[in-house]
Formats: sequence, C-alpha cells, structure tokens
Amino acid sequence: MMQLHAGATAVSDDPLHAPRACDGRAPDVFRPGGWVPMRQYRESEPVDFAIVGTGAGGGTLACKLAEYGFSVVAFDAGPYFRPLEDFASDESEQTKLYWTDDRIVDGDNPLQLGSNNSGKAVGGSTVHFAMVSLRFRPEWFKSRSMLGYGADWPLDWHEMWSYYAEIEQALKIAGPVTYPWGPPRPRYPYRAHPLNGAARALAKGCEALGIKWTETPLATLSAPRGLARPCVYRGFCVTGCSTNAKQSALVTWIPRAIAAGAEIRDLAMVGRVEVESSGLVSGVHYHRDGRWRFQRARNVVVAGYAIETPRLLLNSATARFPNGLANSSGLVGKNLMTQSNQAVWGRLEQEVRSYKGPPSLAITEHWNYEDRGKDFFGGYSYMSQGPLPQLWANTLFNARGLWGNSLVEAMKDYNHVVGLKIVGEMLPQESNRVTLSEEVDQYGLRIPRITYSWCDNDKRLIDHSLKFMRRALEAVNATDIWIQDDDTCHLNGTARMGSDARSSVVDADCRSWDIPNLWICDGSVFPTVGGANPSLTIQAIACRTADRIRALARRGELEAGSARPSIHRCSIEVQRL
Amino acid sequence: MNRPAERDLIAMAGIAASGLALASLLSSSSARVRPPRWRLAAPGRNRSSNPETVKAARRLNRAAGTLAASVLADSSVEHYRGSFKNKAMYTPLLVSALTLATSLHGTADMRPLAHKARDATYLLAAATGLVGSGFHLYNVGKRVGGFSWQNVFYGAPIGAPMAILLSGLLGFCSERVREAHRTRPRIFRLPAGRAIAAVTGAGLLGTTGEAGLLHFRGAYHNPFMLLPVTLPPIGAALLMSAAGGGPGRTHRFTRWWMRLLTGMGFAGVGFHAYGVSRNMGGWRNWSQNILNGPPLPAPPSFAGLALAGLAALGLMKAHPDA
Ligand SMILES: Cc1cc2nc3c(=O)[nH]c(=O)nc-3n(C[C@H](O)[C@H](O)[C@H](O)COP(=O)(O)OP(=O)(O)OC[C@H]3O[C@@H](n4cnc5c(N)ncnc54)[C@H](O)[C@@H]3O)c2cc1C
Ligand code: SF4
Repeated sequence: MMQLHAGATAVSDDPLHAPRACDGRAPDVFRPGGWVPMRQYRESEPVDFAIVGTGAGGGTLACKLAEYGFSVVAFDAGPYFRPLEDFASDESEQTKLYWTDDRIVDGDNPLQLGSNNSGKAVGGSTVHFAMVSLRFRPEWFKSRSMLGYGADWPLDWHEMWSYYAEIEQALKIAGPVTYPWGPPRPRYPYRAHPLNGAARALAKGCEALGIKWTETPLATLSAPRGLARPCVYRGFCVTGCSTNAKQSALVTWIPRAIAAGAEIRDLAMVGRVEVESSGLVSGVHYHRDGRWRFQRARNVVVAGYAIETPRLLLNSATARFPNGLANSSGLVGKNLMTQSNQAVWGRLEQEVRSYKGPPSLAITEHWNYEDRGKDFFGGYSYMSQGPLPQLWANTLFNARGLWGNSLVEAMKDYNHVVGLKIVGEMLPQESNRVTLSEEVDQYGLRIPRITYSWCDNDKRLIDHSLKFMRRALEAVNATDIWIQDDDTCHLNGTARMGSDARSSVVDADCRSWDIPNLWICDGSVFPTVGGANPSLTIQAIACRTADRIRALARRGELEAGSARPSIHRCSIEVQRL
Repeated sequence: MNRPAERDLIAMAGIAASGLALASLLSSSSARVRPPRWRLAAPGRNRSSNPETVKAARRLNRAAGTLAASVLADSSVEHYRGSFKNKAMYTPLLVSALTLATSLHGTADMRPLAHKARDATYLLAAATGLVGSGFHLYNVGKRVGGFSWQNVFYGAPIGAPMAILLSGLLGFCSERVREAHRTRPRIFRLPAGRAIAAVTGAGLLGTTGEAGLLHFRGAYHNPFMLLPVTLPPIGAALLMSAAGGGPGRTHRFTRWWMRLLTGMGFAGVGFHAYGVSRNMGGWRNWSQNILNGPPLPAPPSFAGLALAGLAALGLMKAHPDA
C-alpha cells in the first residue's frame, strides 16, 4: 500500500483551500499522513455515474455502484478531512464541518441553518451527525393509506427491512440485544454502549411513566473494527469524531468506494447539470481549483441534501426545462420537511455530566408506535441529550435570554443539566419550500430561499411531546424545568418519490420521471419523515437504488448510451478494509 | 499524599504483586523445593509423608495462587476504575493478596500437614467470593433496567468474585489432600480427586460464562474471542467425565486438554494486550486503555483452573480411588 507521511504532503495541507483527492491518491482516513491510491477519470470521457454529494445518500451510492463495476466520480463541495488529524476538541474550530454558505430563510418559523442540519464535507452531514440509526416504523411507508396523513412511499417496508439490515451490518451499528418496538429485526452487529447519566435519567422517567425505553442504536463502535477505534465517550460527536469510532460515510462508504475504483473530488462545487438537446443529461459543471470544469457522464445523480438538491435542479433550468430539471410536476423544492427538535430541560440534584459519551444514548420510540392518546398525526421519539458547553451557553442565551452574570450562574450548573429532546414528524406542505433568490453566492450561483411554517398538526405534536417530556423529567425529580420550544433538525422532502409522475419527482428507484438518466438519491426523496432520524433510511434507499440500477443495466433499461457495468479493475493495488 | 495518588499506588501494587507472585508460583512449583523455614510454617512432627498427596496438594496451592493472582490484578484494575467508591472494594485486593501469599507458602511447603493459617485464609477467600458475588448482584439489580443486558455488561461483573471463591475452594481442598497422607484423600467424605475435578469443571463452566458474556459484549469482533467459550467447556466435560468415571483410567487426553487450557489462559493475556492496543492511542495511552480495553488479568483464571484440573487428575492417578 502506498503510504506517505506528513512531511511528504506538507506543501499545502489545508483541506479547506486545496483539494486533497488528486494525483491518483486520496487521504487515508485511518493513518495519519497516509494516502490510499485512487483511480481517476478523464473529464472528456463520460463516466457511468457522476454523483453530486458524498453524504449518506451519495457516498453510499458511490460505493455500491463502484462495487458493482460502474465507473463513478463523486463530487463534494466540502473538504476531505482526516479525522485523526483535522478534528479538534473545540466547538468553534469544528464549525468548519457545517454548510454555512449564504441562504435566506423566511416563513412563520424560519429554519436555523448550519450546525444542526447540514454538513459540507466528503461524507456529508454524517461527519458531524449524532449517529442515531433508526428504522422507520413499517406503517410510515404507507402513511396516507394506513394512517390517514401525508403521502405513501412507493416502497415496501419488507424490502426496506432487508436494506436496513444491510446498512446496520455495513456500519456495525451498536444497538440493544432486542429492540422493543416494531416487527422483529436481526440482532445489531455490535452491542449497545453503556448508558451515561442523561440516558439513565431518560430510562428512569420512562419506567416511572410506564413506557418502554431502550439503548439507542448508534453508528459508533462499541468494539474495534479494522483500523477504527472504539468510542472513547468524550462526547464530541456532533463536532466530528476524531477517533473514527463514528461510522460516518467518510470512514465507511467512501474508503470502500475508492477501493472499488470510484473517484472522489473534494472542494468541487457542482453548479449546473448539463442537458443535451436530446433531453438527456450529459454531465456536470463544477468549480474546483479556482475554475469551472465539466465532467461528462452517462448518468447524473444529485445527492446534495434537501436544500442543495432542489437548488441545483432549479439552477440547471434550460429553455427546454424552464422550471428546472425533473420539475414537470412542479414539486421540486416543495414539501420540505424538517423534524421538530424541541426539548425539556431541568436540573438534577446529583451530577449528570450529560456531555459524556454520544449525546443520545437512550431513546423511547413509544409515541412512534402508539397511536392511541394522540390528538395529531405522525409520531415522535425522544432521546437523552448531551450538549457541549458552547452549545449549551448558546441555548441558554437564545432560548432563555440569559446573559452576563445570570448566564455565568446558569453555566455553573452545567454538570447537573438533564434534558430530553424529540425528533418529531412534521407534515409535508407544499408551501414549505426551497426556491431561488436573486442573490448569488461565492461561486456566482443563485442562493436558496427556504420558507418554513409549522402547521397546526405540527404544533399539536410538539405540544403533546413537551407535556409528556415534562412529566418524564418531573418523575425523576428534576427541578427548574423549562422548555426549549423552537429547535428543528434534519431536512427532507423537496424531491419526493412516488408512483405517479404528476405527484412526485422521482420513482421508487430514485430515477427522475422527466429525464431518465437523472437520479436523485438523498434525503430529498422522502415523501414523509416519520419521528425517526433519517440517515439509516437514506442509506437504505441508496443501497436499494444501486441494486435497481444494476438490475436495470443488466436488462438494458438504462438510457441509450448509458452504463452497463464496465468490468474494470483498478490497476493499482488497493487496500480493502 | 492525596487519595487518588494512594489509589494509584494501591492498584499498581496489586498488579505488581500479582505478577511477581504468579511468576514465582509457576517457577517454584516446577523446581524441587526445599522445606521452607518460614515462621509461618507449621512446626511439624516429621511424619512419613506420601509424596503423591503432597505433590497434588502443592499443585492445588499453585492453582489457587494463580487464580488469586488473577483476582488480585483484576480487582486492582477494575476497582481502581470504579475509584474504590465503596470501602468494601478494597476487600478483594486484601483477601486475594493474602490468598496469594498463602498459596506461595503452600506451594513451597513439602510437609504433609494441613496448615491452620492457610486453611483460615482459604476459607476467608471463599467467603469473600460469596459475599462479593452478593455485592455485585446487588449492584446490577439496583441499576435502572435491573438484570438487563446493559447492566450485566456494564454493571459490576457478576461472575468475577467467583474466581476468588474458587481459589479458596481449591486451597481448602489442597489442605485436605495434604493431610490425607495415610488415608485415602477425601473432601467432605468424597474422593478428593474426583471432587476437585468436579469443582474445577464447574469453575471452568462458570468462567466460560463470564468470558462468553463479555466477549458477547465485544460482539466477538475477533474470531479468537471464540476460543475461551469453546475450549473450556470441553475441558469441563472431560473433567466431569473423569470425576464420574471408574478408576484406572489414564486421562491422557484430559490432561493434554488441561495443558492446552493453561496455555490458552496465558495466551489470553497476549490477546487482551493486543485488544488494548486497538483502543485510541494504543499502548502509548496505556493508563487509559488498560482500563478501557479487555482486562489483561482475566484470562489466567482459566489457567488457574486448568492447573487445578491437572492436580486432580494427578491425584486420581496416584490414588485410583481418590
Ligand atoms: C448535527 C446533526 C446531527 C444529526 N444527527 C443525526 C442522527 O443522529 N441520526 C440520523 O439519522 N441523522 C442525523 N442527522 C441527519 C443526517 O446527517 C442527514 O439526514 C444525512 O446525512 C443526509 O444525507 P444526504 O446524503 O441527503 O446529505 P448529506 O449527508 O448532507 O450530504 C450532502 C453532501 O452534498 C454536498 N453538496 C451539496 N450540494 C453540492 C453541490 N452542488 N456540489 C457538490 N457537493 C454538494 C454537501 O457538501 C454534502 O457533503 C444529523 C444531521 C446533523 C447536521
Ligand atoms: S463520543 Fe465516541 S463517537 Fe462521539 S466523538 Fe467521541 S469517540 Fe467519537
């Protein structure tokens, strides 16, 4: 294996300003200063798949397609980090992981964008996500016909169940020995992590209220795996994990993709998908190393997450597709769904030290699976919390208006803070949407405007959860209980999948109805969001899409001129993990 | 000196003592030992001894000592990790150190006489094991979730105190064997060799249970983690069948298996050392990873039991009806 040490690369090693994946090699995320060989493709020759975004959707798909023998180039606007070297135990420094490019927010409940919902890095938002890895409740795939709200997915839950199992294996999810809700699932590959003080408080509250709880299935290692170390419980997860315990796309799918012959291009912002006169897409225009370039491709997959995906599709409008690509339904950008992320906080007499370990070690999905006693559609789960100090000070300032002495006094209680937070389902509404504003960003691209307002159902769900969580905290004798009522997390929708071209943007295979060689494979395709964190479902969809693409290719049903798995072998020796 | 420093010292001393003692235990038993002239030694009349029973007794002392060394090191590390939150957490360190010293003494002692102080210590060790198990059970049961996987994984290990109980039992047996120079060795009226083989077999099963639980917690991420849950139960079955079988069998295969288990027990330390290296920072970060990683002192308890198995088989060979 090729391995160079830091000295050899030192010329310019700022991942934020100079691309790292070039010259036939990419950073080895497991070895300080190390490199892995990486196949590279010529821009002038069409690759089978150009993938925009390397997060939960794009990273997974790049890996699977490359392993199936397709030629793949995956672009990411963000840097290629080396977690062992680039990640500091410093909240401010780590804001470098967030997508903080200009965006405009409005509506009755404007979203707060950045840290809590979007990443910009090879590996996407999974580089700083909180690792909670949940399956959807089976009925949610048919929430319109079975539960009476939202929209049906064109997917069958049984099939998704088998893809979930595949992802859980691929990420060595550490979860409880038996999961208390839903149909049986295979045992999680790794055992659950030990509970911290905050998780024990959640558990006690649930037991007092007579509902079930469990250890949260997490994408962080509870035992070694290859060169990745097990979790050390320092709790820096949402600012990037520096031990590689976190099974982000950056340390799982991406190394596999490269080993299988995919090329990753970091610091490569795709500004436009090119459409030929035939009506098919032919490649992507992207900005890297200070100039615009063009990569030819037989298929383009957009996987930039629920804001950047519609933005790119809208920004790629042509005379033939004046409303943007894949938008004959008019639904690109619409039905944006975030998830409610309200919390109840309190103080326990004994020390909690909630920041120790991954932030959400215990969970209850009771209100995801129980439909009685609800005055709203949808569900929510709630989890224990472990905010880092700076985030906590910010929360105290923003939500309670504490400043100066009162803030200092409140921070002294940091070790005693205990909190519960929901991930709640918000309903799809066409009025919640991503559109283009007239302003442009550093690349000269029109920036997105994100409009968001809660509907009455959203408010009722939040209300229910806050009352319930307050009881749960009271049950463990928490004092000084207060409510944080304005937080949201996770973004989905904006290019929903469906079984009808008039009411959806892509079909069950994530293929756009309008342009057969344009695909969308990320959180945007969700018709509904459920009350569970989305990443496992995004990755399951990506795995399914890869399988479908392979099947279609075998049957010759990819568009003319489009890919059959070109049996290529990486000529360079590649290290498999 | 402040308390954390004291604790550091105690834990380090525990580990060092157990290591040193284990080394001398294993080397002394193979060498021919002169009768010691220690104060502690019982003033004895010089009886005509039966070399085989004494030999078996000393081997049992050695087995008990190996177990005690494992407990001393393990409880030093684990209770240090638990910051000796409860004063009672010092007990296993003291008792296993005492048991270890006693076993060293027994291993060196050639006389065919039971020794009161040794007897007392071994009984104390057994009692400590029982009480410790009670403590650990209580600790697990009172955690939220009760006797759940979470708590048996991460609460006080229920099986761990059993090792000092076994050490005490084996030591106690050793004294019974030693004093049986004229009669057939008996323990509670049972043939000693067979009784010890059965106790050891049960001990192997129990220890397998603990290894199985903790290796399950580690998701058997390394295939070698299967060894201590597959080899020892076979050893236990072999010992049980030796205990139940008629006289006159040579148990060659069983003895061979016990040697294999002894080797596995010590090799386990190496595997666990490798496991420690796979944690963040590896051995450079030893002060954290020894606490985080797989317990280095745990696997030799298999060796201790296998040595006891060998002693029992030796005894049965010398006294076919033992
Ligand atoms: C703080 C935080 C905590 C979270 N916790 C959890 C959790 O515990 N469990 C869970 O399931 N989910 C969690 N999530 C959500 C989860 O991370 C996302 O839902 C998931 O990563 C989305 O996958 P994606 O592929 O759609 O987008 P991403 O993973 O965000 O990937 C999109 C990538 O595309 C790139 N990109 C976008 N546009 C372009 C362009 N035009 N050109 C080039 N590249 C582009 C971006 O740089 C980005 O890297 C969390 C998210 C955050 C921010
Ligand atoms: S707590 Fe675990 S997963 Fe989180 S950053 Fe630390 S090592 Fe990584």
